[in-house]
Amino acid sequence: MKGSGFRVQGSSSASRPAGAGIRFAMAVSLFVTLNPMLALPAAAQTAPDPPDSAEPTGPRPLAFRVAKVVSMDDRDSVVNNATVLVKGGRIEAVGPSESVEVPDGYRVVEMPEAWLVPGLVDAHNHTAGGDFNDMVYLTNPGLNTRAGIEPGNARIKRAASGGVTAVLFIPGSGTNISGFGSIVKTAGANPDEVFMRSPGSLKIAQAGNPEWYFGGVRRMFMNWNTRQTLLKARAYHRAWEAFEKGETAEKPEYDPIFDDFRGLFRGEYPLSVHTQWYQVLLTTVEQYHLGMKLWTVLDHCTFNAWKVGPIVAKTDCWTINGPRQYEFDRTARRMIGNASGWWKNGVRRLGINTDAVGFGGIPQHELSFQAAMACWYGWLPYPALRGVTQIPAEALGVHDRIGSIEAGKDADFGIWTGDPLDPRSACLITVIDGKVVHDGTKGIRRF
Amino acid sequence: MSRAFRVITGLGYVSERGGFAGWCVAPRRRAIVALFACLLIPRLQAQTSRPVESTAATTTTTTTTSAPADREPDRYLAVINGRVHTVTGPVLEGATVLSKNGRIVAMGGGVQLPAECEVVDARGMYVYPGLVAVRTTGIHDTKNPDDASDVYGLSMNLALAGGITSGLAGKHAVKMTFGSVDDIVLRRDVFTTLSYSSRKPLERAQVRADFERVRNYLRDLRRHELEKLRNKEAKPPDKKWLKGKYEKYRKLMQHETVATASANTMHPLLDLSELSRQFGFELVIRGAYEGWLVADELARANVRVILNTRRVVDPNERLNRPTGATIENARILHEHGVRIAIIPASTSITLWGGAGRDLLHLNMEAAFAVRGGLSDEDALKAITIDAARILGIDDRVGSLEIGKDADIIIADGDVLHYMTLVHYSIVNGRVAYEKAKDTLFAHIRPEGKPAVPDFDDIWPRRLEWPDESKK
Repeated sequence: MKGSGFRVQGSSSASRPAGAGIRFAMAVSLFVTLNPMLALPAAAQTAPDPPDSAEPTGPRPLAFRVAKVVSMDDRDSVVNNATVLVKGGRIEAVGPSESVEVPDGYRVVEMPEAWLVPGLVDAHNHTAGGDFNDMVYLTNPGLNTRAGIEPGNARIKRAASGGVTAVLFIPGSGTNISGFGSIVKTAGANPDEVFMRSPGSLKIAQAGNPEWYFGGVRRMFMNWNTRQTLLKARAYHRAWEAFEKGETAEKPEYDPIFDDFRGLFRGEYPLSVHTQWYQVLLTTVEQYHLGMKLWTVLDHCTFNAWKVGPIVAKTDCWTINGPRQYEFDRTARRMIGNASGWWKNGVRRLGINTDAVGFGGIPQHELSFQAAMACWYGWLPYPALRGVTQIPAEALGVHDRIGSIEAGKDADFGIWTGDPLDPRSACLITVIDGKVVHDGTKGIRRF
Repeated sequence: MSRAFRVITGLGYVSERGGFAGWCVAPRRRAIVALFACLLIPRLQAQTSRPVESTAATTTTTTTTSAPADREPDRYLAVINGRVHTVTGPVLEGATVLSKNGRIVAMGGGVQLPAECEVVDARGMYVYPGLVAVRTTGIHDTKNPDDASDVYGLSMNLALAGGITSGLAGKHAVKMTFGSVDDIVLRRDVFTTLSYSSRKPLERAQVRADFERVRNYLRDLRRHELEKLRNKEAKPPDKKWLKGKYEKYRKLMQHETVATASANTMHPLLDLSELSRQFGFELVIRGAYEGWLVADELARANVRVILNTRRVVDPNERLNRPTGATIENARILHEHGVRIAIIPASTSITLWGGAGRDLLHLNMEAAFAVRGGLSDEDALKAITIDAARILGIDDRVGSLEIGKDADIIIADGDVLHYMTLVHYSIVNGRVAYEKAKDTLFAHIRPEGKPAVPDFDDIWPRRLEWPDESKK
């Protein structure tokens, strides 16, 4: 179940011609080293439990009794005096305490004043692993962050202390296409435990950072070049599609650089586009979303980008704003909240990110505070909390598993001392896949 | 809509408390009414009977009778109807704070306003003392704050929008006197920087030896004073050498200045507190992210701490002791009796868009201390009165008390809440920032409602759980 989202694409690479460059060879060698671990879970699950274990399968089921569950489901349910049952890594039941009976054998966690909130999801993270920017070519389509994942590294460990349970770990914005990202949980000892889906999205960076690539390239060339790469990838995808449908008998040559793009063009995962300023946003929407019909997640969306809100609102794009939460308009002399600007312009598929990196910037555990700052600058608390839970989960297409508190979903949530956006509230307990991964009720709480 | 948005318009305002009509007059019309103001003696009924201190550093004196005609009239400003958080005293509901020439002269209920008085109606709002930033960068000129600061600068404007009315600029404690060059400096040379690094043992030994020499001198000096009673010819101890660093240490040991040093980890913190205890000088430590591990020792040495609540330092697994930073640092230090002031990671006002980590969001930094277990009241003190005490300016600012400076902020909610915005910042009894009249934040929640809507409006309470069987 855990590894089901992981496309084990490289495992049969031996049977395919390796016509790629040295970068791919490195990626494969790294990936092959991970393969034994990927094969582990089947063995681990069937391994006999220690004799003293009370439960034959997995950890003991849990029951949480809390003051309030902000479920973030489609009905905007908020349940007071609620009980949440957790079994087998999933949420078993949610409801008012008087109607949810706790079966025998459950460990009951009584937190009568706490709020239970879905695990926060960040659609823009750079700290779940080591590799950040492999700036080899201006577009590096063959790369994937799954080669650089570091489960349990110090930076990602802290995320759980802020109630963050899943992130999209994407490469940096040093080049126009820097590779595929991976959706990972913030706790777990090995790659199989942390991966939710890889590829999680394709990272494209438009304008800003990639302009510093070597001598410097400007937007006109960058847009053309990125488009060329995508067109090549699409041609590759269409050739295979024709072959698979039996439209042609000629088997296309396997190309590892472009093979991950097939899922992109099939609509299995989105683009994460680093895009800011209104002109650049217009290009993003026009070139990738309307032009190439790709599932598009607009990341950053800062400076005056909110001005194209009315155009973005008419599309199916997702807007994930951050890390900048306001723009100082020097001409009008106004502090303009980015999220507030998008919201006022009608954009409802609106989320918030931290863009957490290993140095400076906003740390991953402060995702809720990013949402709070969006409110300081004019947004509203309920949609802001939705913007760090359900919205990013939907934007990445993992809302069937995470993003809200509903029976059947992954048991990923935080238990907070109050309103999770208020910096005065602490996340006391974080649960991921039904396991308590952060317990701030014992010892010193770091965050 | 709150009346707060239509007072101070120059059109006048009639008090709702019957029997007394207070006229609100814009500064530009003051000249017209100057004569009246000079003749009126206000009848003040304050709850507190503490006399008005006459140590005012303002340009006008506090005498009110027979003023020359060309002199500025007395300047009155009243904040009425607010929920007044005095910080050092109780919370006064619906109270009036009346200031005269930049000082608070009356506070409480039933305060009668003088005839010529600027009035700010704070109905439904929270009134606090202006926040005190124990370090600011880029707002004032650090060398000559009173002569070279830009009192129309954007940074000062934004600091006031963030509720900050005073702070430390370089070595001097200063005020955000937006639009006025009067009374900028609160106190000069607040701190003496001490260099006492664990990484430089020789330098450290030298510092101790120098302190020792000064201590011996002070001992000799006392002995000499006793000896002089018996023998008038007695020679005082030699003090030709007493200059430079020695003079600095003498000032510290005789409590003429306060030392400040930067230290973070356990070892330097212990070293510094021991030095301060041994030589009896006052010490303020900046940083102290491992202060929670030596809170006892810091308290015993009466060390004050300036800290950032959100420092991220992971435990060092190679050390066989607790290490690293924690959000609970502020609470633990406070519980041990260490006086703390809170400051954000960036002490300037940044405009790059990274919200919540610079001086503009000083109150949010204090809110994070509450996350670590500090009470709301103590967190507020750490950015008001305790910050002022650490800078040695608590006789003037940091709380709302009679005799203190009229540095007041009026916010639309609890100042530690993430949706609270400051509507007025008043410095030296002058409105230095007004949200509705300034482009910066006027467009955010312009209706003037309290920023924090009713709880149910934000987090809807669903009283009935949906019945799945009826679908």
